Amino acid sequence: MAKRFVTTKVEVEGREETTVVELPSREPTPWDDDATLHVVGQRIPRMDALEKVTGEARFTADVQLPGMLHAALLRVPIPGGRVVRLDLAPALALNGVRGAVSLDDVRDITIDGVQVFDHTVRHANQAIAAVCADSLEVARRALNAVACEVLPEPHVLTVAQATAPGAPLVRPRGNLPRNSPRTMTRGDVDAGLRDADVTITREYRTPAALHSALEPHGAVADWSGGVLTVWESTQGIFLTRSELADAFDLPLSKVRVIKNYMGGGFGAKNGASHATFAAAALSMKLGRPVRCVLDREGEQTDAGNRPATIQRVTLGAKRNGTLTAIKLDASVPLGAAGWLGGPGRIYHDLYACPNVHTVETFAYVSSSPMASFRAPGHTEGAFGLERALDELARELAMDPLELRRRNYAANDQSKRRQYSGKRLDECYTRAAERFGWAAARSRPRDTGRIRRGVGMASVVWGGGGGPPAYATVRINGDGSIEVLTGAQDLGTGARTVLAQIAAEVLGAKVSEVRTVLGDTERLPYASNSWGSITTASVGPAVRVAAEEARDALLEAAAGMLDTQPSDLESRDSEIHAKSNDRCMLIRDVCEKLGNVMIIGQGSRGPNPENTTLAAFAAQFAEVEVDVETGRVRVLRIVSAHDSGRIINPTLAESQLEGGIIQGLGYALFEERVLDARLGLPLNPTLHDYKVPTIADVPAIDAFFVGGADTVANHTGAKGLAEPPIIGVAPAIANAVADALGHDVPEIPLTPWRVLPALRTTG
Amino acid sequence: MRLIVNGAAHDVTVPGHETLLGTLRERLQLTGTKLACGRGECGACTVLVDGASAYACLVLTAACEGREITTIEGVARDGELHPVQAAFVAEDALQCGYCTPGQILAAISLLRQNPNPTEADVRRGMSGNLCRCGAYPKIVRAVLAAAREGAANG
Repeated sequence: MAKRFVTTKVEVEGREETTVVELPSREPTPWDDDATLHVVGQRIPRMDALEKVTGEARFTADVQLPGMLHAALLRVPIPGGRVVRLDLAPALALNGVRGAVSLDDVRDITIDGVQVFDHTVRHANQAIAAVCADSLEVARRALNAVACEVLPEPHVLTVAQATAPGAPLVRPRGNLPRNSPRTMTRGDVDAGLRDADVTITREYRTPAALHSALEPHGAVADWSGGVLTVWESTQGIFLTRSELADAFDLPLSKVRVIKNYMGGGFGAKNGASHATFAAAALSMKLGRPVRCVLDREGEQTDAGNRPATIQRVTLGAKRNGTLTAIKLDASVPLGAAGWLGGPGRIYHDLYACPNVHTVETFAYVSSSPMASFRAPGHTEGAFGLERALDELARELAMDPLELRRRNYAANDQSKRRQYSGKRLDECYTRAAERFGWAAARSRPRDTGRIRRGVGMASVVWGGGGGPPAYATVRINGDGSIEVLTGAQDLGTGARTVLAQIAAEVLGAKVSEVRTVLGDTERLPYASNSWGSITTASVGPAVRVAAEEARDALLEAAAGMLDTQPSDLESRDSEIHAKSNDRCMLIRDVCEKLGNVMIIGQGSRGPNPENTTLAAFAAQFAEVEVDVETGRVRVLRIVSAHDSGRIINPTLAESQLEGGIIQGLGYALFEERVLDARLGLPLNPTLHDYKVPTIADVPAIDAFFVGGADTVANHTGAKGLAEPPIIGVAPAIANAVADALGHDVPEIPLTPWRVLPALRTTG
Repeated sequence: MRLIVNGAAHDVTVPGHETLLGTLRERLQLTGTKLACGRGECGACTVLVDGASAYACLVLTAACEGREITTIEGVARDGELHPVQAAFVAEDALQCGYCTPGQILAAISLLRQNPNPTEADVRRGMSGNLCRCGAYPKIVRAVLAAAREGAANG
């Protein structure tokens, strides 16, 4: 008998892990480019758009339960210290205040290894308690009544400060996380540099960026009948469930996490947050539902960030452009907690080069913890690598695109294995054509006040997905179809895309299909919606479930149509018998079946062995720089993407545009500013932290090349949400460097960074 | 005091410092109007007061006595989408949907003031409404499409 459980490798955000997988009941034939598909690939309108345009979509903060209380978090305004006194009694004595929780109520509950509500203060605005009341206003007022004393202690803000001898400790075991510095090597970089005809060394800096989702982190918790139900704005209902179960010592079966709609995550909402634990602890203490939603300042100062980086890059190349060495020495201040999502990985993967050596020093510092942020690590790393590559091209007097083509990595360089599919070359060709790269490059350099420049960058990202992921497809007695899976739709379009896959298999109208997501109690497991994996992970599970359901449906219909199931074809919700030309609507078949419910179960199979699954892109930008003011205006962006099969081009293009616009913000304005001495956040509002507005957005031409990646999985689809952010900042910075004729070492490209003259004159 | 919201009268007793956003969401359960910044920086709480767009987080309920307030819940009539809503659906001018109610009300207000806007007019007129998902290119298209459909009369 064949094995039922095997292991496979799954990559999420640059981390490859081995996971156990239960083999699916069947492995369908991949949909290749010749497959005849009627619903997959169509521009079906977003299926939850109606709820969103009418205000009916209920987000976490919109949940109102009878008797619900409102919680607010008490935060410490300094970056380092010890809480020496915390007396909640004066707050509890106020009219309308119903309860409070602090360290004693959440002992041993941790987030990223740090105790919740700890009395050691590790960053400004750290939460140390929560108070709840009949209204949010009363809860906030009560925070002022808490008697709290904090003894200030020294803090560190940079990697240099954190690693200096005698530096104050942000974490008891030291400021360097395990495995930091992280060194990754292939070949001999020193030998590669000796072989080089040309070498360049540059230093690049990227800022700490804030996710700034418009819906803040938040939860509504309801402890009732021994079951903890939590509505949470989360990218991972099952991860949040296991974190809550661990925290409160409950079986998984007694924790239910629901996420119906959420107002943006971008990586910062991958699990339970302070708001989650506060709402749950208060609800369990008081026996009433509790809502805890961060205010904007809390969201901007203690809800995750893309950490800053300093990247010192050395490249060596032959005169003909062949890379002989890539070397990186990077430092990343993570904040008080975080994982090692560094810039180094992309230096190994983007180009063919035999000698690559990267050292990344990650350190804990006294600022709020980092969190995954759309293509974490790669977005930072791409800026340093792709900027340096343009400097090398200038040194070699070579077209930057030509330099990249000459170092094309046909295979996964670091894992020494094939890609399931790679059409980056096609991305280069198509994007360069649509951009008019050759003509733009040959234009004479502007010498006036306004100078135009062009730049480009390449992109690689994972997004191949993998198991485990489960789906159920149910066909009801009226022919309506439900796709049930515990994934999340962050605004990506997962609801629509998964419905399209089921409709395709069942030969049903997509309007007959409803996708139900985001409820751990009703739905089978699917992983976090992170790493651009949802379509490639859950899509195949939905396809298998739908095939099972289709087989049952056709078997039932065959009896009614006096034929064999193999004689039947289903299309537009009608089943047609080829031999006798008889037809029946799916609905009519189901009505005859009554409450005999057709249920298909599906799961995601293993990934192909010794194969890297990745998405690719080439991104081009044209800018205008005002050399008197240093103002940069992006005129247009052209972005070509290989993400395998596109299930719904409209929604996919929306994702590309959104990623490009976030990349534009990262390139031009976005920067969390901490007071360099005091460690206090200086721009914790949406007015002072600049995200792009509609007026900032240039013409964007974002499109897909190629077709299905049938090696990756049997739907042929790969991830596409994260790749579009990765190359935008380097493409824009390269265009600015092209316009100015000198290096651009740092983003965001505010005027004083663009014009060294402005920097010296202030 | 009496509040007229989406054509219906509501008698409410509110403290003098309560914002219209708080009243709509917490007292009238009209949660389509979103709270995102609470200080007039993002536009997620945009509503119409006497037909003109306003940030509900910066308007005091006490100042709204006798004024006509329209929230996203009152935009569709008899189950039929307003042309701006229909255009947002058709153009996929939304992703997570959190800013969408505010965007739609801002667009309705813009088109009432300027029924035939240029693309530049739309970019300027809508720049008080942030969308972190970056649906902007399609929001521009949706507003222009709605203008062509004569949304100003809708």
